[in-house]
Amino acid sequence: MGKLIGKIAAVEKNPTTIDDFYFWTDKNIILNPFDVVKVEHISKSITYGVIEEISHITDAASFLSSFISNDFGNVDSISYTNRIGMNYVKAKVIANSSNIYTPVHDGCKVSLADKKDVEYALGLSNIKNPLPCGFLEMYDGADKIQLPVHFNSNFIIGPEGAHLNISGISGLASKTSYAMFLIKAIQQTYLLKEKQKAKERDTKDSVAFVVLNVKGRDLLALDEKNDKLSDKDKKIYEMLNISCNPLENVKFLYPYSSKNESNTYADSEDIQEQIEMKKAFKYKYIYENDKTKLEMMFSNIDDSSQTMESILTFISNDQGKFNNIRYWNEFLEILKEYCQKGATSDKEISVQSWRKFNRIVKTAINSNKSIFANRTDENQSEIRIEDMIKEIKKNEIIVVDIAKLDENMQAFVFGDVIQSIYQLKLGQLSMREDIPQKIIVFIDELNKYASKDAPKDSPILKSIIDITERGRSLGIILFSAEQFKSAIHDRVKGNCSSHAYGRTNAIEIAKNDYKYIPHVYQGMMTRLKQGEYIVQNPIFSSLLNLKFPNPVYKQYKNG
Amino acid sequence: MNKILNFFEDKIPNCKCYKTYKFCFDTKEYPTSDYNDHKDFKVRKSGETEKHDSYISLEKRMKSEITSLFRFFLDGSRRTYKVDDIAIGNRVFPIIAGQIGVGCCERVDKDTFKPIKLENGLVVSIPECSDKDGSDKYFFNNLLMKLNELSFLKQKNLEFKKILTYRDSKTYENDQYENLAIAKIQDEMIQQEKEVVKSLVREKLINQDSYLLKDGSLEYSEKGVEDKSFRLSLIKSNYQHVVGVSKSFNPELCDDGKTKSMAKKIAELPLYSRTPAFLLEPNIIQDVKFCVWYVRIRDIKRTISPFDGIVKIEKILIKDNEMRNGLESEDVDMISANICNERNPVAYGSDKRWANHLYPVFLTESYIKSKYLSDIYYLNLF
Repeated sequence: MGKLIGKIAAVEKNPTTIDDFYFWTDKNIILNPFDVVKVEHISKSITYGVIEEISHITDAASFLSSFISNDFGNVDSISYTNRIGMNYVKAKVIANSSNIYTPVHDGCKVSLADKKDVEYALGLSNIKNPLPCGFLEMYDGADKIQLPVHFNSNFIIGPEGAHLNISGISGLASKTSYAMFLIKAIQQTYLLKEKQKAKERDTKDSVAFVVLNVKGRDLLALDEKNDKLSDKDKKIYEMLNISCNPLENVKFLYPYSSKNESNTYADSEDIQEQIEMKKAFKYKYIYENDKTKLEMMFSNIDDSSQTMESILTFISNDQGKFNNIRYWNEFLEILKEYCQKGATSDKEISVQSWRKFNRIVKTAINSNKSIFANRTDENQSEIRIEDMIKEIKKNEIIVVDIAKLDENMQAFVFGDVIQSIYQLKLGQLSMREDIPQKIIVFIDELNKYASKDAPKDSPILKSIIDITERGRSLGIILFSAEQFKSAIHDRVKGNCSSHAYGRTNAIEIAKNDYKYIPHVYQGMMTRLKQGEYIVQNPIFSSLLNLKFPNPVYKQYKNG
Repeated sequence: MNKILNFFEDKIPNCKCYKTYKFCFDTKEYPTSDYNDHKDFKVRKSGETEKHDSYISLEKRMKSEITSLFRFFLDGSRRTYKVDDIAIGNRVFPIIAGQIGVGCCERVDKDTFKPIKLENGLVVSIPECSDKDGSDKYFFNNLLMKLNELSFLKQKNLEFKKILTYRDSKTYENDQYENLAIAKIQDEMIQQEKEVVKSLVREKLINQDSYLLKDGSLEYSEKGVEDKSFRLSLIKSNYQHVVGVSKSFNPELCDDGKTKSMAKKIAELPLYSRTPAFLLEPNIIQDVKFCVWYVRIRDIKRTISPFDGIVKIEKILIKDNEMRNGLESEDVDMISANICNERNPVAYGSDKRWANHLYPVFLTESYIKSKYLSDIYYLNLF
């Protein structure tokens, strides 16, 4: 046994059960929720528990006793003896070394666990397909232990389970950093596999990443080293067996900017440098190829009568005057004609519907005139997103910058990315044989696209639901993040195998999504520090309070 | 089941157990005539070196007593049970079982309070006539030995410490026999208290800087003491650094020689004050003099009766000059101030006697009681 800290107390009001137990401990011993303790049990077995609640009690029968004990409210009163007090701790049973789950007995000794015990108890030992996902810190002072934690990659990027959802308030929760930490770990794992390919049986297993940059320059230097990485962080990376080098094989897709207006927060010189290194490209939308994507502009428009859908079908099928149109300006002109009274004999689509359609499309195209262009010039590194995704290679990371675009345009680009990946995996874009087996998509601010309040027929919502429900078998994995998990569509979060909860607020915790989380852990969620997550994954026997180091790639001040 | 009763029926000649209803007497201790205040308590002499006519305020002294004089706390407790009525010959006697606990706790510092001694034991009190010949001095020892050999007791790792016998030579009513039987258990508890004090002295734990505070009176009657070596007169030197503090007392029994009763004076004792100390020479304890005084530790405004919040303090006079002149008034003040400083925390809500209780004593008592077998468990051994 490790350091003894107390004994089991099974009392009338709080008996030990199959699920949990209570023990008393010295009031000065520092323990924390999520710490693992072990208990001597019958047949020389060991029961492991994870701490859920810690309470301090004295023998004072009421607050009044305390008041009276200070000479009826004299704050200066002193006493020779402090009231007898102790801490009692509620722990949840998570494992038994002999699979004995009868309740632990009163008076059994409780001790701290060592690294091996913790690994066994939390299901962290002998993990197949290990993928570093952070580290655990337990106990305090001389007893402190630190150990790396690994996911079984089959349970986060398939085939057993897929999709990760990260939630937490902005700024402190560092959702993007955690997602990128995992992506770094995955990429390194697959790059190592690549090197050992000859030894690997599953040579087809490969992965690629598509990441959307939604804020400032957050993800626009993934391939540049973080010179400010501290020694402490470096040691943690070493413990986790992850190199401190930045991510590799990164391509950046910036929205095309004209001379007059910039559509990105990235420095134009940096972009130029990246272009010269064949790392950066500028994306455009060309009418001929992308007219079918117009539906993405309607992702937040309620179309219960399906008139918008009728118009979209009308245009996609080149019906009416939309036949033989090549450019966006022509399209807008024809559209304008349809908005004139008596311009069409089609009775199914009213002029009012055409006008509504025109208003939405015209606003989107006119405010992003440089992106909705006539053609791409490959020599100038101008591309279509779909074409880039079509050619995505294993271990490649494509960063699509949408940070400076307006909300509707962001949705349009995200929808395009999602659908392009979906079509690629369905074999509709390319017959290539070396399409990566898994494509991981990371999107922050998922609430914009898969909100509970999104229209039911939103094409983006439909795509996201499709990915979360069927993506695992297709090899499309969604890593998503948002501030408030409760705002996300139930079918989307319900299909995520892993959840990471960062710091959030008390209002959010009161929502139904957090009901299954023990009360004390809920409280902890409002106090989590930066770089700290409460993680749920099917292979762990309990929720884990994980920490992770600062990112290995360059961090810009103020984004 | 009734295993112990079957054993008695089997081993005590010509007896019959009725297997009557078993119950625990009120767990609250009640004094027998052999204990606590004595009816012949007449105080006429001063018990301290300085003569005082009125109350002595302790407030100044309390502030100067930064560290406590008391390091050890002793309490004795017993719980008694009527387990059966037994017919021996033509008479019916009660069998009274008991659990005795005597414990001493040490206050190492403000936050560390730990037990250092615990004497607990199971006893049973039966009439003397259980030994039919009345001359076999080994009868009850043999009976105890055989009782402890019962397999079910061994399985449970239980052992009876003594079989006590109460006098049955006179004819009493049944409940008077019960009182006699309980008194025997009480005497046994007192005996154990004395043994604990003796061991503390032997281990040199108590001294002028580390006093022992004993819950209750020190006026141990010598009437029930079978082992002569435990007579208070012979062991009083053990009590040089021991102070007895009683939560309850009969104020009417105290007479200062001028008026009939001191009850009014005691009742009107101001907060953090003491009465003058009196010399007490109980008739029932030969050659032992006590210094006795009263201290108010709670404001009368906060208590439900005038005697709530007052404790009675006793100290055995040991040295020759103490026997002649009484206890040094300086010592009386020091002890009193320390007792006042022990007033917090309180056991309000946990013990009805909170106003008179001292917290370390309350803890010691709680510790002893926590070591008792549960009433149902114990009763079902019989």
